[in-house]
Amino acid sequence: MVVHDTDPDPRAGPPAGGELARQRALRDEIARLRALLREARQASPAETPPPARTRPDWEVRLATAEELNARLQASEAFTARLLAASRDAIQVLTLDGTVQWRCEDGRATTADQSGTGTPWATSWATSWPDPTDRVAADLALAAARAGRTGRFRAASGPAEAPRWWDVVVSAIQGADGTPERLLAVSRDVTEAYRAEEQQALLMQEMAHRVKNTLALVQAVAAQTLRSATSLEAATEAFNGRLMALADAHDVLIRGAWAEADLAAVVAGAMAPHLDGVPDRCTATGPAVALGPRAVLTLSLMVHELATNAAKYGALSSPAGRVAIAWEVVGGPRAVLHLRWRESGGPLVAPPARGGFGSRLIERSLVHSFGGRVALLFPPEGAVMELEAPLAALQDGTA
Amino acid sequence: MTSDPDRPPQDVLHGETRPGDDARREQTDAPPVVLLVEDDGLLLMEAADTLAEAGFTVLEAPHADQALKVLESRSDVEVLMTDVDMPLGSMNGFALARLVSRRWPRIPVLVVSGMGSPGPHDMPPGARFIPKPYAPSALVRTLHATVRRAA
Repeated sequence: MVVHDTDPDPRAGPPAGGELARQRALRDEIARLRALLREARQASPAETPPPARTRPDWEVRLATAEELNARLQASEAFTARLLAASRDAIQVLTLDGTVQWRCEDGRATTADQSGTGTPWATSWATSWPDPTDRVAADLALAAARAGRTGRFRAASGPAEAPRWWDVVVSAIQGADGTPERLLAVSRDVTEAYRAEEQQALLMQEMAHRVKNTLALVQAVAAQTLRSATSLEAATEAFNGRLMALADAHDVLIRGAWAEADLAAVVAGAMAPHLDGVPDRCTATGPAVALGPRAVLTLSLMVHELATNAAKYGALSSPAGRVAIAWEVVGGPRAVLHLRWRESGGPLVAPPARGGFGSRLIERSLVHSFGGRVALLFPPEGAVMELEAPLAALQDGTA
Repeated sequence: MTSDPDRPPQDVLHGETRPGDDARREQTDAPPVVLLVEDDGLLLMEAADTLAEAGFTVLEAPHADQALKVLESRSDVEVLMTDVDMPLGSMNGFALARLVSRRWPRIPVLVVSGMGSPGPHDMPPGARFIPKPYAPSALVRTLHATVRRAA
């Protein structure tokens, strides 16, 4: 994270510069000991060997130093492999928050002693682009200096594609147990952040849809009560409409609430009215994808037509049939033509006044989709013909 | 459609069919005129019935562009009530509310939506936001109060 400049020394790999210095010091010490040993041998001729206890002492000290060097090298090689295996960005800071050492993508680099040759060896907190994050970084530094763990989440990188980091800052204690330097470990949590963002968006979207659905149910309930002759009739009509909306939701959910095929909408709305006799209704037409609003409206419309047919029309007698057919006419400004035609039922007389069903059909379609609708009652069976611009029916919002 | 007796015919006018009815405002006891902008036919039907029963004269528009045509063609609109998401028009309800409050500052604006709450710059100054679903009686009270304040 954090550092947006280029790496000053791309070849600098593990072990870190500080460790290299220590190795060099050890090598120097071994060389010095060897030189001392050589001098001692030259100073003491063969006939006068050094005192018996002196020689083994030099040998022991040399052996110990060489073993220590070997152990240190093994330990440093392990540390380098450990850092190379880490997927985190690790930084060591001075107590005032200046970057001293860092390890990113498994490569460790130490800041130039003077600081001038290492562009990233600056204030760690101010390297965060967002001012709020800088405050959080300062607070985390303060917590670490006090011996606690500082933790925050922040973004870095280009504004159009930021990376998100979960940052933990803690103290590196010196030999006396007090904070000597600070350790900042940043883990890339961009994917988790995106998932959370997506989830929050979905929750918001769902809340919006639920409110819209409740408003729709409220309107259906109020309209049902307005036109009902009795409480029983209202209850029955309302339950039927609620079930029709529930079926329409099932159809919509199958299409991820984005679209549903007209045939599925018609089949879903007709199913409860056919008493399991499939040939009472035929539905023919090409595949037409409908948006959520059109699905809900058309489902309610078909439900109203079918309810009426079951009470007074073709679906009230065993011989009655309903034919639903549709086609799409025209190119870029295509229009859906849909016809509902009943036959084989009792002779039809036009209803005295339009109730909820006819008002819904006439107003919803005309108003919501800019379409046209004709509801006719010839003696042989009710007919509804509608046409509506396909673009309006396919709009994605609910 | 069903043979259930329907409720009495509504006092609902369609804005696009009744231009230039300015004389209405001269009468002190004339019902207040509300322009309802709502893309869902069923919700509009219910809101129009509610407001008509409460004594309003209701004009209807399915989207912002139609609402602007109504406002341009008649001067008796006393309050605008608009939904937010209206895919058929060229702008949403917030944009319509802001435009109306600039062009017709004397017309108070109510925005109605199922979205939680409007953003900081969505609403024009002085406009009211009503979350959906709303209690019809509360809507009627709010509209009456709004019209009285504007008068």
